[in-house]
Amino acid sequence: MLRPQTILIPLVALVLVAGCATKKPPVSAPTTQVPPPAPFPGANQSGGTTTPADRPPAPPPVPDTGAVTSDPLADKSPEDINSNSPLKPVFFAFDSDELDDVARQALNDNAQVLKKYSTWVIAIEGHCDERGTAEYNLALGDRRALAAKNFLLSLGLSAARIKTVSYGKEFPFDPGHTEASWAKNRRAQFMVTAKQ
Amino acid sequence: MMKPYLPAALIVAAALAAAPTARPAAAWISEPLQSSTQQQPPPTQSQQPTDFRLSLVGAGTQPKVGLPDFTVEGGDKDLADATMTLVNVLWDDLDFEKEYYLIPRKSTASIPVVADAKSLPFDRWKEIGAEYVIVGTSKRIGDNLDIEFRLVGVRDDIQGKEVFSWHYGGSGCALKNARFCAHFISDDFHKKTRGVDGVARTKLAFSSDRDGARMTGRQISGPGPGKEVYIADYDGANQMPVTANRNLNLAPAWSPDARDLAYTSWVSGYMDVYVRSLFDAKPPTRPAGSDNNVENGLAAWSPDGSKLAFASTKSGDWDIWVVNRDGTGLHNITNYPKAIDNAPTWSPTGAQIAFTSDRTGSSSNQIYIVGADGVGLRQITFGCQGCDRPTWSSLNVIAYTAGAGPGHDIYAVDLNNNNRTIQITDGQGSNESPTFAPNGRHLAFVTTRWGKEQVATIAITGKKDTLKRVTEVGNNRYPNWSHTPGGQ
Repeated sequence: MLRPQTILIPLVALVLVAGCATKKPPVSAPTTQVPPPAPFPGANQSGGTTTPADRPPAPPPVPDTGAVTSDPLADKSPEDINSNSPLKPVFFAFDSDELDDVARQALNDNAQVLKKYSTWVIAIEGHCDERGTAEYNLALGDRRALAAKNFLLSLGLSAARIKTVSYGKEFPFDPGHTEASWAKNRRAQFMVTAKQ
Repeated sequence: MMKPYLPAALIVAAALAAAPTARPAAAWISEPLQSSTQQQPPPTQSQQPTDFRLSLVGAGTQPKVGLPDFTVEGGDKDLADATMTLVNVLWDDLDFEKEYYLIPRKSTASIPVVADAKSLPFDRWKEIGAEYVIVGTSKRIGDNLDIEFRLVGVRDDIQGKEVFSWHYGGSGCALKNARFCAHFISDDFHKKTRGVDGVARTKLAFSSDRDGARMTGRQISGPGPGKEVYIADYDGANQMPVTANRNLNLAPAWSPDARDLAYTSWVSGYMDVYVRSLFDAKPPTRPAGSDNNVENGLAAWSPDGSKLAFASTKSGDWDIWVVNRDGTGLHNITNYPKAIDNAPTWSPTGAQIAFTSDRTGSSSNQIYIVGADGVGLRQITFGCQGCDRPTWSSLNVIAYTAGAGPGHDIYAVDLNNNNRTIQITDGQGSNESPTFAPNGRHLAFVTTRWGKEQVATIAITGKKDTLKRVTEVGNNRYPNWSHTPGGQ
């Protein structure tokens, strides 16, 4: 139980372990800072159609870490995988959850990766640009994530490995206020959340 | 892996429980002054205006009131400071409702302050156009203020008459919480002299990223910080967080008794509705039925507090669902396939629910009303661009967001008046997510007019001089106005 005197602790120090009866030392910040994923230099900047040339380049080769395994990616933690992910984001037109040819190709590629690494459990995040209202975008983001998930299921992946989550317009990838930024923000993004 | 729900927020609740709004009413003093010679109070305005814009009268018909410093009995500095706070807050509270025209205190600072209504310098007050002057005295009893409050006539026909005389004190007027004492006096004065339910003791809840802490518990692709639920007094004072889980916590909604908050949180890795008490340390409940294959969000309390309406993908697409607060009685009330039904709000009686739907086509979000039992659907807006976040007032007006984007504005449709629609905000910045004050006379909303997203309040008239900024720090979204005075 929480004792009344705990009230006086500043908020930042109020990170206690659930169910613990005694005060723990304050935890000031996450101990591991996860760098944001690499930017999407080729994200669709015109808003309408997308050409393959606009797509983000293939992920750089994974450096040889000297591990004995021949596939370093197989041994990486979800955090390390996500920091330089082989899973490509999928971009959408304004107020749309439709998958164009480029999006389907990216999803095909992602499906190959997920078939190779069959232990990965992923969350598909649906995101929106800032133009729509906050409430509507929570729903639209879900539609985008679902569109990507359903396409992956059609390629034979197991639903048990794929969760979806909408973040609406709460987490823009690019904080700018132009179409170039918005195009990067209208996305479904693939995060490895666990290994089975 | 998910981290356990951090109970930090619960401690905030305990702090809240210790806040003055939660104090027992015992020893509270609000009574007529013994010496009172009550006269006819200023006229009460019409209770049911046919045009809701006229529910706020223009400056020309508001009685003009001066509020000078109160006379402080004794040389106690704490008392003097608390009294000054009380007078300044009282000025803001009385100005907020626009029932009276409050003469700016700067322009009356040179007029001598008197304790006795009979010796007011009436000529000086008449000179600046005052019709009434508030004469107050303040003394200390224990740790509390003891206030005598008189509204005295200045106009020739009522000169020197005490039209309202009241005594306030006790634990509700603690020296260290003079703001609350002022709020109480303002609400009491508005009720007794104008028949108006003021909102000075109400609170706002909203989501804020001001803490800047990165999301924890799960990796997020975007670089943004988490958002916590905050609460504040209606005027922006006393802002404090009620969640502290470093995740995404949005769309808080006050229960009608202002003791619980429902909000939408991603703390488990997916969107779900959480309900927690502000007055005990119990962990939040999840009445929408947590399921990591389903997203539940944007909950709204029924007026009697027994049910929640919320948006959910339980059926495979977004519908409006209703559930009892204990999680029983879950049912789908819109059940329309392949459309986004979203952002529910209850009618004042609880008989109906308004919501948005894009069922007539993508990019065509319109507002609909349906019975709380799912029967009697009707469309309220037609051809509205980007319609979102309806909020249904006690005066039977629905305010909402609209605009093709990127900029939006707040509009309102008067259901008493052939659905006549007016624009509330004036195109400065983008304006979103309105929420009505319990008396239906004010809106809180999100605006980008000052740069980042900030919560502001404005009168339903939309008059520029009623715009007030509530938040200053970080980005702040999804305001929700409490129904009743907090903790009363």
